[in-house]
Amino acid sequence: MQCRDVAQAIERDGFAPLPEAARGHVAGCAACSSLLADFESIVAAATQLPSEVEPPSRVWVALRAQLEAEKIIREPQSAVPAEKTSRWWHSFGQLIRGRVLAVSAIAIGMVFAAGYFQMTRREPLTAAVGTTPIATTSQPVAAEPVAAEPFAAAALSLDQEEQSLAPVQTVSTGGVANASPVDNSLRENLTTLNAFIKECRKRLQEDPNDQVARDYLAAAYQQKAEILAAMMERGRSVN
Amino acid sequence: MTVGPAMRKIFLPAILPVFGAGMLLLPVMSFAANAGQKIEKHFTVKGRPVVMIQNVADGRIEVKSWKNSEVVVTASQPSDKVGLDMEQADDRIDVIANILDTSAPQAELSENIQLTVPEQTELQIKTQTGLIYVEQVTGDMKLESIAGDVHLKEVSGYIIVHTTGGSFVCTQCSGKLDFNTISGSAQILQPSLKNVNLITTTGNILFDGDFIRTGIYTMKSGRGLVEVRFSGTDSFDLNAQTSSGTVDNRAEAFLKPDTHGLRRSASKYAKGLFGTVGNGLAKVELSSFSGTVRILKRD
Repeated sequence: MQCRDVAQAIERDGFAPLPEAARGHVAGCAACSSLLADFESIVAAATQLPSEVEPPSRVWVALRAQLEAEKIIREPQSAVPAEKTSRWWHSFGQLIRGRVLAVSAIAIGMVFAAGYFQMTRREPLTAAVGTTPIATTSQPVAAEPVAAEPFAAAALSLDQEEQSLAPVQTVSTGGVANASPVDNSLRENLTTLNAFIKECRKRLQEDPNDQVARDYLAAAYQQKAEILAAMMERGRSVN
Repeated sequence: MTVGPAMRKIFLPAILPVFGAGMLLLPVMSFAANAGQKIEKHFTVKGRPVVMIQNVADGRIEVKSWKNSEVVVTASQPSDKVGLDMEQADDRIDVIANILDTSAPQAELSENIQLTVPEQTELQIKTQTGLIYVEQVTGDMKLESIAGDVHLKEVSGYIIVHTTGGSFVCTQCSGKLDFNTISGSAQILQPSLKNVNLITTTGNILFDGDFIRTGIYTMKSGRGLVEVRFSGTDSFDLNAQTSSGTVDNRAEAFLKPDTHGLRRSASKYAKGLFGTVGNGLAKVELSSFSGTVRILKRD
């Protein structure tokens, strides 16, 4: 038996107990006995570690929400028996919390995306030639690569959140007519934001490389995520 | 000394109606006092306290400072539909106002809170509506409101203000300022701020004051007016941009070519204005998506 065979045996069956042939080789091989000793020390050290701490359920909720928001996973269908689903999906309140976290996660994502974009974009800089200080607008000279709809994934997620929010808002406020000034303010501002987002998107359709419009669109999506989170939070605290 | 008959003749007719009215109003005043509740609590602190207020109800929050090492919380509410919890953990004081009866009329769901704190106090206030007013407090603060306005006077520190629709007025503030709102406006008056970041989607921004050397100032309004009034002694580099709005330069006499050896041009798809006032020691970035950016020298 060779060293490679011992390694394969360990990989396949674990190192305790090793097959007799492997044990015989290890006994006469300094490299393999050292490797085995290392493994044993690692296992011994691992047993001394404190038992694994169960992360709070909100971590899983946030993680799942984020994965769903990114379309990496889908929400389980109703075919799954109720007993086998995680208990935090059953509570409406917990669901709300998950959505708040999802919205928050989107907001954080937007911040990073905006920050990254800000860092990577390059404004045209030219050497000073002592000319006029005022640099005014110029029309597009050369077309740059046109990007797809900016922040499309975030926009879609936020729209879904907004749609799912409507019944919660109605329940918490007892209907639009009975809504408090705060709820009205939130709703009005959401409408304002949506209109502004539409305006920015229209502008970007006309000029996909308008950096100012892009920055404002990113900021508006961040604000929308925050306002949706506030609406969720308010719905939860009132209920 | 006795009051003469002539004096009695003059005073009695004047006093009697007032006295009578007072007697009539006495039961009404007593009822009002019973209906409204007032709570006052004192917390002794050692160092710089951290005061956190979370007002789920509506109402005004007022914070003022004094020289004593004590935090005084005074709360008043029109009904018993709002509960108030207060706790102290060393120098941290938490005040939480919760709605106890969600079916109560809106007018009864309010809680006005008045704080008196040591000058160096850190504040974290979160409320729904109603004014947040802070005066002469030196310490970092985060103030959040949905529909309420925020007024600060003579405060200093790292100031974070977030509103949804509430407006913001900051008078004689110093330190760093971060304001974010959707439809609220901002007025920054006579500041000594070294770092300013103001963002509103539809509101207006007015900055009327000096730019501190090496300071960084960013002001953005989606649809509103961004107006900056600077003084003749200021020194800053200016970058003003708009996508579909206008840049109103009323300071052409003061705006010189960039003295730092670089000449920037606006983004190809935006209207821009670049220049330097004085030696360009501070950095000022103004923008509006579809509104107006206006720059002018103060009289």
